[in-house]
Amino acid sequence: MKIIADRAALMEAANLVAAVVPARSPSPALSCLKLTAEKHGGVGTLTVAGTDAEASLEMTLTQVDVSQPGVAVVSAEKLKQILGAVAEGAPTITMELDGDQCKITGSHAKFRIFAFPAGDYPPFPDFAAAIGSATGPGAARSTFIHSAGGLLALVTRTVFATARETSRYAINGVLLKRDGRKIEMVATDGRRLALSRSTLKPQPAGGGAGGSGGESTPVSCIIPTRALNLLTRLAGDPEASVRIAVTDNRVFFAFYDVELKGKEGKDASGGGQSPRAILSSTLVEGTFPPYEDVIPKDHDKKATTGRDELSSAVRQASVLTNEESRGIRMTFSGKNKSVRLSSRAPELGDSEIDLGLTAYEGEDLTISFNPAFIADALRAVPEPEVMWEFKASNKPGVMKVGAEFLYVIMPVNLPE
Amino acid sequence: MSPLLASQIAAGEVVERPASVVKELIENSLDAGATRISVELEHGGIELIRVIDDGVGVPEHELYLALTAHATSKIAEVGDLDAIATMGFRGEALAAIASVSRTSFRSRPRTQVAAAEISAEGQTLSPPRPAGGPPGTSVTVRTLFFNTPARRKFLRTPQTEQGRCADVVRSIAMAQPNVAFTLTCDGRALLDLPPNQTARERALDILGRELEPELIEISADALDTLGTGGGTVGAAGASPIALWGLVGTPAVARATAAGQFVYINGRPVRDKVLQHALKEGYRGLIEPGRQPTCVLLVEMDPGAVDVNVHPAKSEVRFRDSSVVHGLVLRSVRRGLATADLTPRVAGAGSTAGASWNNRASGSAFESSPAPLGSPASPALFRPAPARTIDAAAFASAFREVRPAGNASLNFPALREALAPTRLAPPSGDASSENVPSPSASPAPLADTPATAASLPTVPSTGATPVPPAVGSMQSDAPEIEESLSPALQVFNSYLITQDEHGVLIIDQHALHERVMYERLLARIVGPDQRGEPGAVGVLERQAFLAPVPVAVTQRQREAAERLRPTLERLGIELDDLGPGGMGVRAFTSLLLERGVEPGEFVADMLERAAEEGWGTEGKAANAMPQPSPIDALVGERVVVEAVLHEVLDMMACKAAVKAGERLSDMELAELLALRQRIERSSNCPHGRPTSIRLSIRELEKRFGRV
Repeated sequence: MKIIADRAALMEAANLVAAVVPARSPSPALSCLKLTAEKHGGVGTLTVAGTDAEASLEMTLTQVDVSQPGVAVVSAEKLKQILGAVAEGAPTITMELDGDQCKITGSHAKFRIFAFPAGDYPPFPDFAAAIGSATGPGAARSTFIHSAGGLLALVTRTVFATARETSRYAINGVLLKRDGRKIEMVATDGRRLALSRSTLKPQPAGGGAGGSGGESTPVSCIIPTRALNLLTRLAGDPEASVRIAVTDNRVFFAFYDVELKGKEGKDASGGGQSPRAILSSTLVEGTFPPYEDVIPKDHDKKATTGRDELSSAVRQASVLTNEESRGIRMTFSGKNKSVRLSSRAPELGDSEIDLGLTAYEGEDLTISFNPAFIADALRAVPEPEVMWEFKASNKPGVMKVGAEFLYVIMPVNLPE
Repeated sequence: MSPLLASQIAAGEVVERPASVVKELIENSLDAGATRISVELEHGGIELIRVIDDGVGVPEHELYLALTAHATSKIAEVGDLDAIATMGFRGEALAAIASVSRTSFRSRPRTQVAAAEISAEGQTLSPPRPAGGPPGTSVTVRTLFFNTPARRKFLRTPQTEQGRCADVVRSIAMAQPNVAFTLTCDGRALLDLPPNQTARERALDILGRELEPELIEISADALDTLGTGGGTVGAAGASPIALWGLVGTPAVARATAAGQFVYINGRPVRDKVLQHALKEGYRGLIEPGRQPTCVLLVEMDPGAVDVNVHPAKSEVRFRDSSVVHGLVLRSVRRGLATADLTPRVAGAGSTAGASWNNRASGSAFESSPAPLGSPASPALFRPAPARTIDAAAFASAFREVRPAGNASLNFPALREALAPTRLAPPSGDASSENVPSPSASPAPLADTPATAASLPTVPSTGATPVPPAVGSMQSDAPEIEESLSPALQVFNSYLITQDEHGVLIIDQHALHERVMYERLLARIVGPDQRGEPGAVGVLERQAFLAPVPVAVTQRQREAAERLRPTLERLGIELDDLGPGGMGVRAFTSLLLERGVEPGEFVADMLERAAEEGWGTEGKAANAMPQPSPIDALVGERVVVEAVLHEVLDMMACKAAVKAGERLSDMELAELLALRQRIERSSNCPHGRPTSIRLSIRELEKRFGRV
C-alpha cells in the first residue's frame, strides 16, 4: 500500500473512527484502525475503519492519491498522535506499507510504526449485503432513507434521556420505530421519557433494491446509546441522505454526501453514490417498556414559556440545590401569568426566580422537578417556545414542542 | 419438710458456687459499714472462704439469729422494701450458706470487749463461745456443699471457681471506692485495693492502668433528661438520677461482656434496659457481636428502682426505664462523640495497652493516648433555674456531696446522701475525708421548699449557668484541628495524610459511608442530635414513570407494610402490584444521584428486613422487658429508630464511594474536611474503623531516632 492523503481529512476520519476502537484490548490488533486503499477506474479511495464488539465505523476518503492499493492495520492511538503532531504546514502525508512496518512521512518528519497483518483484524458487518439481499442472515428487515438533519434531530431529542447505568438493559438505548413514512424515537430512564417524531420523504423506488417491499415494513428496534452518540458526530449537510437498514441484530446508518433522489438506479450502495461513512451497531435485545401508557392525556393546565428564559431560570434555581435536595419547586400562577422557581439546599441557602409566562390556562399549581431533567430537554430543542401540560403536583408534567417533541417528567416530592 | 431441707432448697437459689458465697458475705460486710474487707480463698473457695471486715459486728446475744433464716436487721417492715439501700435484705443468705457448709461466724461489735463465735455444720448449731479478735466480723465457710454431694460435683476446677470469686470481688469493689479490698488465694495476694479512692482510681485499678488512654469519662444527671418543657413533668415524675462512668473506645471492645461493670446504687446489675442503652450508644462504633468495655455507676432514688426481683439481685426493675435509658444512651453517645477514637498502629515494643488489646480482640491496633478528654466537667450538675423545687433541691444536694476541687464525684458519699436507710459507718470516719460537708444527716430526697432553701447553695441564684458538659469536654480535649495536609490516595482505596498526632491511613469507603450516614441521619432526625428521634425530616424522593417491579415473598411483603412509614421518611415509596410483586413508585433522589438501582436496593432491603424481623414487636419486647405506657413508647421509638438505622446503613453504604474508585484532589479534600465535621468519624456504621494512625513517636522509634 502506498498513498498520499490530505492530512486534515485523514486526521478527522481517524479521530472519529478511533472513538469506536477500544483504547486497551488484550489483543493489540483490536486497538488498531484498518486502512484500505483502493483504486476504481483511476479514482482512489481510502477507507478508515474501526470496530469493537458492538459498534463499527467505516469512513471513506476521496482526497487521496493511491499509487498502490493495499491494507494497513496500525495502532489507532499512534496514528492519531502522528497526524496531530505533524506540522500544520504539511497539507498531505504519505503512507507506505513495507512488510510489517508502516512508513508515515509528512513535511520533514518520518515515522515508522508497526503494522499488524490485515488478517488479524476482525471482519466488518456487511452493509452492502444487508441492503442488497432479501433473505439470509444479514438481510435487512427494513431499509429507508432520511435526511441527515431529520435523523440528527430525532437522536438529539431523545438520546439524553437514556439511563446511564442500569440493569434494565432495554432502556439503555433508544427505541427506533418506523411505520411507513412515520418514524419516532423514544428514550427513558424511568423518571422521564423523551419522544421525538418525524416524517420521511417519499422513499426512492428501488432504494432497497431487491427488498420485497422491505422499505415499507414496520420495524422497531433498540439502538445502544453509544452508537447514537457517535452518530451525532457524523451528520454533515442536513439535506444529505442517510440510509438506514435494520437487520435482525444490527442497525446500519450510511451517510451520503448528497440527497439521494428517486430512481437512481439499482446500485445497492446508493445509486452510484458511495456512502461517506457507515456506522453500524448491534441492537439492544429486550423489550422496551410500554411507553404509550405513561404519556398522560388528561391534562387541564397549560403553560407556555420562552425556551431561553426558562432555561436561564432553571439554571439559576439549580445553583441552590445539592445531591440530597435536587428538586426545584415551580409555582404557576394564572393571575400573574408567571411561574416562580424556588430551591433550597439544606445548610446552603435558597433561591427564588420569577419568570413571566407567554400563556397559562387552568388552576394554579405547584410542582417540583429535578432541574437537570428540564435543562437536558431545553438544550435539545431549537424552538423558541415550549409548552407545558400538567394535571397535579404528584402527576407527571409534559413538555411539548410542536408535534415533533414530547417529554414526560416525573415530579420529585420535596420535603416541606 | 425439715428446716434443713428448706434451707438447702433456699440455698440452691442463693448459693450456687463459692463465688455466690463470697458475694453474699461481702455484701453483708458492706451493709455493716465496713471500710476494709479482706477475702481469703483456699482451693478456689471450695475448701475455704473467709471474709473479714471491720464493720459494726453482731452482738454476742444475736449471733444465733445471724445464722437463722429470715432474720435480718436490715429491714423490719414491708414499707422498707420500697427503698432498699442495703445490699442484702432478704435475710436468707447466711442461713442458706450455713445449711450447706461448715460455717463459723465470729464477731465483735466495738462496744464489746471480746469477740464471740458460733459454728454451724449443716443442721447443727454450736452455742456461742468466746473468741479473740479485732472489732468487726469474720465469717469462715469450709467445705462448701459437704452435705449436698450432687452440688459439690457440679463445681468446676479450683482455678475456675477462684476466677469467678475474683470477678465477684472486683465487681463489688468497683462500686465501693471508699472501701479497701484484699483478695488472697491460697496465700497469694491477687488484689489489694486501698481505701478512699475516687471512682476513677478504683476503676483504673481494677480495669488496669494501661487502659487509661482508652477510657473516656462520662457523667450526667437527671436534670439533663428533663430537657425543655420537661420541668413541669419533673415536678411529679422525675426521680433524681445521676451517672458516672468510664467508657472504653471501640479499640478495647471485647468479645464478651467481661469488661462491663454496670451498677445501680452500687449494686452490680445485668439489666436489659441498661444493656440496650449501652448498645445503642455504641451503635455504629463497634462491630455487631462485640461488647464495649465500660464502667457505669448509676445512682438513683432507691424508691424508683425495684431490686427485689430475683434472689441474686442482678436484675432490677425501674419505675421509669425511659429516663434511665435516655440518660445512659445520651451520656455514652456524647462521651464517644467528643473523643478521638482513631486507633493507633501498634508499636514494636508493644505496651500493656496492646497486650490488653491482643487479649481482648486479637486486633493489631492500639489506641491513641493523647486526645481523650480529661475527666468530667465541673458543669456536671447544672443549675436548674426554671425547674421544680424537687429537682432543684436534688441538684443542690448533689452539689453538696461533690468534692471541691476534684472533678470526680464521690459516689459513696452521694449514695449516703441519697440513702437514708443505710447503716451508719461504725466510727463516722469512713468516708468523710472526701466529703466536704458531712453526710451524717442525709439530704432527704423529697425535700420541702424550706429545706431546699436552707441548703447552702440556692440553685436558681447561687450558681452561674455553665455550658453543658459536652461543650466543656470539647474545650478540654485536645481536639484535632483542621490541619490536615493534602492526602495521597493509594490503591484507589486508602487515603494517607497527616495530622499533628501522626500519619493517618483512611479507608475511603468506610469514611465516606460514615459521612453519608451522619448526613442522612441529621436530615432525618433533624438538628436534635441528643439521641432522640426528634424532628421528623424526610428525604427528597423522585417518582418513576412506572413502578420498578420487585419480586417479594409473603414475609417480605409484610415487612414492607410494617416499614412503610419509615421508608416514606427515607424517600422510598412502595406499591403493591398484586401477588408476588411490589413496585418502587418513588425512590430517594440522593441514591438515584449515586447510581443506586432502586429495584435491587429494595429487594435486598426487604430480604434483610424479613430475615431479621425489622420493626417487629419482638425486638421491642427484647429491649424493654416490662410494658408500662412509657416503656411502650420507648419501645416503639427504639423499633422505629432501629429500622431507620438499618436502612440508613444500607443507604450510606450504597451511596458512598467504593474501594477502588479514583478520587480527584477536590473529592479527597472534601472527604477529609467532612471527617473533621461529623461525629463518630472513627468508625463506619458497621463498626469497622475508618482510619488508623501511625504516631510520630512510633515513626521516630522505628527509624531509630529515639
